[in-house]
Amino acid sequence: MEILKISESDFLSFLDKKIDEKNEKVIGVVKKGSHFVFNELESSDKLALDYDVTMLPPKKYFQPPKELLLKYKPGDSESYQAVNNCDPMAIVGIHYYDLAAIYMMDRAFSEGERDEHYMKKRENSILVGLYPTKYFKYRFAKSVVRDQAYKVADLMMVKMNGEYIVEVVSEKGKEFIKGGNFIKNNYTLQEIDDAKNKVKDDQKIPISVELVPDYLGKNHAHPVWEVFGEKCFSCGSCVLVCPTCYCFDVRDEVELSLAEGKRIRVWDGCMLEDFAVCADGHNFRKEKGQRFRHRIYRKGKHLPEKYHYFGCVGCGRCQYSCAADIAGPVKVLKYMEDNKQGGQNV
Amino acid sequence: MCEDCTCGEEIQKNSIYLPEVAELVSKKKMTDVDSFFEFDLKGHSLGHLPGQFAEISIPGIGEAPISISSPPSDDNKFEMVIRNIGSVTNAIHSLNVGDKIGIRGPFGTSFPMNNLRGKNLLFVTGGIGLVPARSAILYALQNRADYKDITILFGCKEPGQRLFTDEIEEWKNRNDITFLETVDTCNGNKWDGNIGVITTLLPKLENVDPLETYAIVVGPPIMYKYVIMGLHDMDFSDKKIIVSLERRMKCGVGKCGHCQMDNIYVCQDGAVFYYDDIKHLKEAL
Repeated sequence: MEILKISESDFLSFLDKKIDEKNEKVIGVVKKGSHFVFNELESSDKLALDYDVTMLPPKKYFQPPKELLLKYKPGDSESYQAVNNCDPMAIVGIHYYDLAAIYMMDRAFSEGERDEHYMKKRENSILVGLYPTKYFKYRFAKSVVRDQAYKVADLMMVKMNGEYIVEVVSEKGKEFIKGGNFIKNNYTLQEIDDAKNKVKDDQKIPISVELVPDYLGKNHAHPVWEVFGEKCFSCGSCVLVCPTCYCFDVRDEVELSLAEGKRIRVWDGCMLEDFAVCADGHNFRKEKGQRFRHRIYRKGKHLPEKYHYFGCVGCGRCQYSCAADIAGPVKVLKYMEDNKQGGQNV
Repeated sequence: MCEDCTCGEEIQKNSIYLPEVAELVSKKKMTDVDSFFEFDLKGHSLGHLPGQFAEISIPGIGEAPISISSPPSDDNKFEMVIRNIGSVTNAIHSLNVGDKIGIRGPFGTSFPMNNLRGKNLLFVTGGIGLVPARSAILYALQNRADYKDITILFGCKEPGQRLFTDEIEEWKNRNDITFLETVDTCNGNKWDGNIGVITTLLPKLENVDPLETYAIVVGPPIMYKYVIMGLHDMDFSDKKIIVSLERRMKCGVGKCGHCQMDNIYVCQDGAVFYYDDIKHLKEAL
């Protein structure tokens, strides 16, 4: 893998050039109030790569909160047309855990029945990763993420002494940086590695990530589900902010003129009360504790068993956004460890 | 098509959410809330297997998962019995012959009719569970010589909720199958038949050889536990019990998460399962 570097100011000029060229939308992290968000850049002025965490992960560009799937004329079954908005885009400054989440999403949407609405957006995107430069108190990514970021990133950047070290991960990445003032790197691999690990996580899951699926499997009856479930408001904030949650609902919307109808995909979440309700009214996960367990099982057991990577990337957003202060996997697993059930825990 | 880029034709060709068109060719009221619908796909056959389902679309209203109740067929027609229970099904009920719908599918697993050849079949069906089971029942009757004893049990809440009453009369009169039915309560209706839940029919069966018989169980969620207990009393092994489980199917393609049961997407990995394969799943029954 080729490793280059570029000064911070040259990098911003490079982005301005990219924005002017309009070959793709350039998306980056910008400040919004006291928080950070991914947003389309009009110039590099607003770019704020020294960030702790963004409110939402970049998932919103590949699975938008409200995404048009089909257009039709209401009442005319022969008028269905599939629609996709997959304009090329480059997303700059994605932390490695959010890249790990994109890897999980890619697998979910490409394996089995291939979802072209998602995959086409991904194919037309360039992902520029960045190792975090700022501490976030709920982050525990180091304890759950392995090598996934490099499976999806086109470029990975590490900030060192006012410069960005740029690892050229893919051909697409190599093509993207043509014309920028990227020069030969003179840092040692050790120095770069140290810079990657400079920002520490305070949090970590209390058991080895490989053991979690089995651990959860043996603790289906642990009181944690009821104790935490009891406190849950079923607000869905945890699944809304989660970079690896991709569950959705599909709805029809008709314009007031009745001239055009849309079938849209919207974010949905297993923590919401009616998520598993059938037509006859039967709710397969009626209790809050059942829903709470399902969410943690999905991240810690079902997805790892299917994809061989942990289904949570340790971004800490769920814990940060949880009004009841219960959503974080670290919190859940710690409670389980502190309240072992008669040898049930591994 | 595609609004801002050039992939329009591609997404029209490859979208897994794009329905095909089918025409309603006949409909018939069955109960106060259930009606029978026959659709024609025109260009080709649906290509389904017994026990599968499809997503029916009404443009402007939405999409709903519906069991296919006809057996596989080479012609382009297929049948469904649809309960008027939500906005989409309500719109389907108000369709007239000649109207068109959108359809995606078929989806899901099917009753393993090939593996069941040479065996006895015991269908245990409750309420609208008869609808998906009928696709296998009719398949078995079309291929009657391939199966040994065929027994059909049907239970519903009250006489007014009986489905396929004409066919039931035929089944009752056939001497190459056994048909028994019951209602939970006659609810003031005239009814000379059995009264009691579906499991009360099991002890009425004579000479069921649990080693040579497969039980196919389809009904409302509450039914499974009790029927399986009853089958265990008859010494059925879990490998000889086949269930079709209800879940909230939404996308049909194993993505949206609504139908998930433990680690399984019921819309793709089910809805038909050998009980032995799912009995360890905590969320199964």
